[in-house]
Amino acid sequence: MEQFLFTFFNAEIAARYWRDILHGMGVTVVLSLAVIAAGLLLGLLLAVARATGKRALVFLVVAFADVMRALPPLIIIIVLFFAFPYIDLAMSSFTATWLALTLVLAAYAEESIWAGIAALPRGQTEAARSTGLSWGQTMGAVILPQALRMAVPALTNRVISITKNTALGSVVALSEILNTAQAASSNAGNPTPLMLGALAYLVIFIPVVLFARWLETRWRWKR
Amino acid sequence: MNAAPILEIVGLHKAYEGNTVLRGIDLRVRAGQLICVIGPSGSGKSTMLRCCNRLEEPSAGQIVVDGVDIMHARTDLNAVRQKIGMVFQQFNLYPHLSVLGNVMLALKKVQGHSHAEAEKRARQALDQVGMLAKADSYPGQLSGGQQQRVGIARGIALEPKVMLFDEPTSALDPELVGSVLQVMRQLRQSGMTMLVVTHEMAFARAAADRVVFMDGGVIVEEGPPEQIFGAPRHERTKAFVSRYAAHAGHGGQA
Repeated sequence: MEQFLFTFFNAEIAARYWRDILHGMGVTVVLSLAVIAAGLLLGLLLAVARATGKRALVFLVVAFADVMRALPPLIIIIVLFFAFPYIDLAMSSFTATWLALTLVLAAYAEESIWAGIAALPRGQTEAARSTGLSWGQTMGAVILPQALRMAVPALTNRVISITKNTALGSVVALSEILNTAQAASSNAGNPTPLMLGALAYLVIFIPVVLFARWLETRWRWKR
Repeated sequence: MNAAPILEIVGLHKAYEGNTVLRGIDLRVRAGQLICVIGPSGSGKSTMLRCCNRLEEPSAGQIVVDGVDIMHARTDLNAVRQKIGMVFQQFNLYPHLSVLGNVMLALKKVQGHSHAEAEKRARQALDQVGMLAKADSYPGQLSGGQQQRVGIARGIALEPKVMLFDEPTSALDPELVGSVLQVMRQLRQSGMTMLVVTHEMAFARAAADRVVFMDGGVIVEEGPPEQIFGAPRHERTKAFVSRYAAHAGHGGQA
């Protein structure tokens, strides 16, 4: 038992590295928020573009969503970070990770929101249009409020799983939680920093999970 | 009574990929009239109604509402649709909005009324259909008959020139049909012009100024209810009407 505590929860080593982990936590939080905001917004725009029914737009959106969902996020990050400099599009490890995860989240968010839009009876649009609402007004006031509520459970799950993928930034040397903790562990020759990292993830994501749960129960119809 | 037609349909054709649904409809609805359109399923009556506000795009023909040709390329369709209220078979209320919110939406977004003014008008319309007490309920909390009355309020709140009814009682339980027909009769008495596609023969007979019998995408016969139901001139009308007389429609305590 003493050996276990010395190895995994070494107070001396924790004291030496907790600032690094805290810094990594900051990077993870900022990156996650940036991915969630940009990914959901882009996904919403793509779903609305698909809802126009314009053939070229629909094709582009579906192709984008299918490719992004088929590729492992890790590969997208690596391509953006290591390959894009050859076409003069060098980006920082933060930007590469952010962009890759944003695109992936957007693809999934588009699918979820589109599913919500497609599930609505045609009568909703017809009723709105019959009262003189434009296509855009119908989308904004009648279709999206309902489609988004239907999409909430799928979206919250996706948001959680994709923001955890910020850990993939470690492969391009982004100093987020996992990378910081790994570096500290090998320096110290002791896995305690990894345990601190795990703790950091829990501190960030348990509230997110609880918030998602609350959102799912809150956004039901009043009956 | 003003004799000018509020709604005029001229030579209306509608075809879907080779399948012709409407083969030349001519119909005039004058101000203050209630016209019932009857006919077997698939006769094209709903399609004709839905062409009147271009929820369906006519293949050919002219539709004039209150002097405006709604088929004209320069016509602002969203503006002209305010003049044409529509009530749907499935009610189509917005489930995420309260009853009041359902009625207020177009008053605010389309007619640009302030929130207070929109609410005032919405409450008046709800009062007219006897649903004011439920203003803060949500559609899911209402019976079908109540939902349909809110659907009517949503239409009349915009003060349209004509109201289109697409089988407004067909999705209702028999015991709820009467309240909706009652509201429609009151609307008629208040001077609203109405074009009603219905299977409620007793209602058509008692409340309509004229009855239009459609079959196979054309108007077979058109006349006062006494003629259509009492002394139909066409064989097809006769056959259709007698089939209904055999098992008289429910809810028609007209």
